[in-house]
Amino acid sequence: MWQALHEELEPLGLSVVTIALDLDPEKARPWIAAAAPTHPSLIDSDHRVDEQLGISNVPMAVWIDENGTLVRPPEGASIQPSPFAAIEITDEMSERTRTVLGEFKQMPATAEAYRAAIVDWANRGADSRYALSPTEVIERSQPRPIEHSRAAACFELGLAAERRGDHDAAIGWWKQAHALFPGNWTYKRQAWTIESTPDGADSDKAQEVQDVYGTSWSDEFVATGGANYTVFPQL
Amino acid sequence: MLLTTLDVRADEFEAATGWAAKPEGMCKGDACVPVPGAVNAKGTIDVSSVAERLGMALVADEAAGAWALGPESGGQALTTAVVPEIELPDVDGNPFKLSAMHGRKVLLVAWASW
Repeated sequence: MWQALHEELEPLGLSVVTIALDLDPEKARPWIAAAAPTHPSLIDSDHRVDEQLGISNVPMAVWIDENGTLVRPPEGASIQPSPFAAIEITDEMSERTRTVLGEFKQMPATAEAYRAAIVDWANRGADSRYALSPTEVIERSQPRPIEHSRAAACFELGLAAERRGDHDAAIGWWKQAHALFPGNWTYKRQAWTIESTPDGADSDKAQEVQDVYGTSWSDEFVATGGANYTVFPQL
Repeated sequence: MLLTTLDVRADEFEAATGWAAKPEGMCKGDACVPVPGAVNAKGTIDVSSVAERLGMALVADEAAGAWALGPESGGQALTTAVVPEIELPDVDGNPFKLSAMHGRKVLLVAWASW
C-alpha cells in the first residue's frame, strides 16, 4: 500500500519512509518482505517517535517538507477505507461482533480524502492548502500533560526490564504507562501482543489479555469508541 | 532517555532528547527555554534541573538502579515544527538518518505488525 503510493509520488519529489513500532523487529520482517519497499523502511523498537513527534497509534503519519520542517502533525494515516467498516451487520452475528463492527462504522471515513491530500501536496508543495504553517502544526499537535511524559518514562523502563529478561517487571511498568496515557495505543498494543501471540506466530491483533492486563483490544476499542480511536485528520 | 546518573554529557543528552545546551538556554529546533543550573561546571547536564523546568518526568526504577526521563510536557506534543534528527535502523540493523532525505518531501508513516 505505502510502496504503491511511494512509486506514484516519487517522480514528484515525495518519498515515503515507514517506521515499524515493533519491539521485536522479526515480527515486522515478513510484512516488509511482502511489501518489497524501495523507500526507507525503518524499525523503532523503542517507540522513540512517540516522544519525538507525538505518535500515539498506528498507522499515523507526519508530513515533512524539503527543508526538514513539519507541515502536518501526527494524524491517523489510513489511505484505504477500513474493510471492517464495510462489513454489513446482521442478526446472525453475536452481540459482541455487532458492537465492535458498529464502532468501526463510527470512525470518520477520511482515507480517500487523506490520500488525495497527500497527492495534492506532492503536486503543489507549499501551495497545497493541506500544508500547514509551523504555528498551525504545533497547535494541531496533541496536548502533552506531565502524565504523558511519565507514561513515556514508564514505557521505557518496561522496555529495559523486558530486555534484561524481567518480564514481570516490564508488565508492571507498562500497566503504569497505560494508566497514565490511555490514548497512546502503541504502548498498549505493543504490550498486549506480547502476551497474546503464541511463540513463533505472527503478531496477534485481537489481543485478548484478560489474564495479564484485565482487558482486550476490543474491550478498549468499544469503550473508547471508533470516533475517538485515533487522531483523525482534519482536512 | 534511560539514565544511570543524573549528570550526563551534553551530546548524549541532545542525541536522546533533542534538547541542546546553548547560551540562550536549552534549545530544541527553534524553541529555547532558559534553564538556570542546566549546565554543571564541567559542562555536563544537570538532569534534575532540566527535567523540572521542561516538564520532563523523571521516573526511578530503584530495583534496576536506573531512571527514565520522559519528553518535555506542559504544552503540545510538538514544541517546534523543525523535525528532530531521527536515526533508526532498517530490519537488518543498517542505520539510517532521516536528514538524508533533505531536499525531498517525506511522508513519514508509523505502522506495526501488531
